[in-house]
Amino acid sequence: MPSSFFVAWCQLSHSRVKLTVAAAGVVVAVMLMLVQLGIRQGAMDNSVAVARRVTADLVVVSPRTKTIFASAQFPRRLLYRLGSHPDVTVISEMYMGQGRLRNPWNKLEFPVSLYGLDPGSAMMNLPGIEKYESQLNDIDRVLYDGLSRKNYGPIRQYLETHETLDVEVNFRKVRIVDSIEVGISINTDGNLFTSSANFLRLFPDRNPGAVDLGLIRLKPDADLVAVKKVLQPYLGKEAKVITRQELIDAETVFIRENAPIDFIFGMGAAIGFFIGFVVVYQILYTEVTNHLPQYATLKAMGFSDRYLLFVVLNQSIILAMLGYFPGFVLALGLYRIATKAIQMQFSMTVERAVFVFLLTVIMCGFSAMIAIRKVRTADPADVF
Amino acid sequence: MSIPHITTQTNLATDFVPSLLAERPVISARHVNFAFGEGDLQKQILFDVNLEVGSGEIVLLTGPSGSGKTTLLTLIGALRKVRDGELDVLSRPLHHATLEDLVNVRREIGFIFQQHNLLPFMTARQNVQLMFHLHPEVSTHEAAKRTVDLLTSVGLGERLDYYPARLSGGQKQRVAIARALAASPRLILADEPTAALDSQSGRDVVNLLQELARNQKCPILMVTHDPRILDVADRIVNMEDGRVHSVEG
Ligand SMILES: Nc1ncnc2c1ncn2[C@@H]1O[C@H](COP(=O)(O)OP(=O)(O)OP(=O)(O)O)[C@@H](O)[C@H]1O
Ligand SMILES: [Mg+2]
Repeated sequence: MPSSFFVAWCQLSHSRVKLTVAAAGVVVAVMLMLVQLGIRQGAMDNSVAVARRVTADLVVVSPRTKTIFASAQFPRRLLYRLGSHPDVTVISEMYMGQGRLRNPWNKLEFPVSLYGLDPGSAMMNLPGIEKYESQLNDIDRVLYDGLSRKNYGPIRQYLETHETLDVEVNFRKVRIVDSIEVGISINTDGNLFTSSANFLRLFPDRNPGAVDLGLIRLKPDADLVAVKKVLQPYLGKEAKVITRQELIDAETVFIRENAPIDFIFGMGAAIGFFIGFVVVYQILYTEVTNHLPQYATLKAMGFSDRYLLFVVLNQSIILAMLGYFPGFVLALGLYRIATKAIQMQFSMTVERAVFVFLLTVIMCGFSAMIAIRKVRTADPADVF
Repeated sequence: MSIPHITTQTNLATDFVPSLLAERPVISARHVNFAFGEGDLQKQILFDVNLEVGSGEIVLLTGPSGSGKTTLLTLIGALRKVRDGELDVLSRPLHHATLEDLVNVRREIGFIFQQHNLLPFMTARQNVQLMFHLHPEVSTHEAAKRTVDLLTSVGLGERLDYYPARLSGGQKQRVAIARALAASPRLILADEPTAALDSQSGRDVVNLLQELARNQKCPILMVTHDPRILDVADRIVNMEDGRVHSVEG
């Protein structure tokens, strides 16, 4: 163990109270940074959750669509032109809309997202929807997202003991045939899935010829980009074909530009950094100031400035370590609580763990750098 | 453990010293001037100081307050740069030294300050052992052993793991002495080491210093106002108004 590290540890640990305060400051900072960045990521992922759910190889959207939560429609007939391409195996359309679902228990209405698609080839990651293909093709049958918020009442629990549940959506009586687990997002509190025909029954004002999304499955060995290039001219200016990844990227860009997620949570993380910085700086600075005569004595006895700088720097590194690990564990706990409380998935990633670790080391190191300037003022000639 | 007491008779020492001086002085100051401040505010403190201290000598530096004793000690201890005159310490010309040279000279000097300035967050043992960091040639095992021996020899064998806050003033000063002697210095500089102590512990400290220094054949230059300890000196140098006024011996 290098002797400057030993001295640093002795100095830092001599007063338990001081050590605890300093470490607690770093713990708070680490926790804030991890939680804020975690929520930012969670909110971001969440906002593009629908786009991520798409499993089709290519997607057709209106060129006017900025986000699929507020999509512009395009003529359905355009999709029929694409079937002639030899690499295209399946084409299906999807309608999306915001409806109102009435809680059958308290009779209150709450907004709900409705998806009209082909349950047999949804090309969306909706686990288990195929099983309900024939049921959903019956008139006024819908499938409920079991992860929806509790606003709508204990529908999921009800369905565990009952076959079906009749509810009112957009003033129309429909029957929920079962629930599957999909997941909600910032933009929606709940989801209902049904066939295109049932969807249009729930939205009588909508033009059946105008769809929100076209989903295309290609042959497994098809070249995505090449096929995309060939297909685009068939759609003209009224629709455009993009890959699944392009859809996700476009959503991400939209959220970045239109929702203050980055700013709000980035700010939260910055505040965490600042708190940690101030606490560590304060502790190290008073440590150095209080021991200036002793530092000067060490210099008089032949210890170099460098050695003393390392004593201070090591203290900051010890604080970084002592703060990071408890902060990390606390953040994991908070992720779990938040995931439950707001029904949004928050999880730790290796990248974030490493990133915040580096931030913590920088935060502590930076505090030390400033406190260290004081060490240089310790004049060995003043000791006598 | 007690150190075999070597009684030093003043006349014996004075006979003994010149022959050593003839070899090579450990400290040799020639025409040293020193001033604090710059330009108009400049105030000269040391005037044409000439001083030699030979190997194994105990030299006491006395004189009225403000006469420049501490200033001279900081120059010899390589804690300030010599700007005017020539000063050789341990055969190194300090008047030509870079900061790095100065730091290297400091490592061969044992300093004892008026304030003990022990690190309050380290035990007596840790404070002393820290000095061996500057001497990597001493093995950790050897350093640990010497630390215990030194603290025992200053009468603190029972208090190795006490923090300074739990030691008396005299005990702290003795730890500071053990620390100064830890890495076998080739010169000891002390500035009123007994000032903060009562007469008995002051006397103990000086005796200790004398015994240890004699054992290690290491010269001592000590500033003191304390008339009770003048008898340990081989030579007494008197300073007045920045000049080495008289040399008694
Ligand atoms: N850092 C400094 N800056 C400016 N002047 C100083 C400084 N240190 C000491 N002096 C001045 O130098 C003169 C000599 O001081 P020095 O400390 O060498 O005296 P001294 O002989 O050790 O006195 P004492 O016996 O009181 O310790 C004093 O007049 C003092 O005011
Ligand atoms: Mg003085």
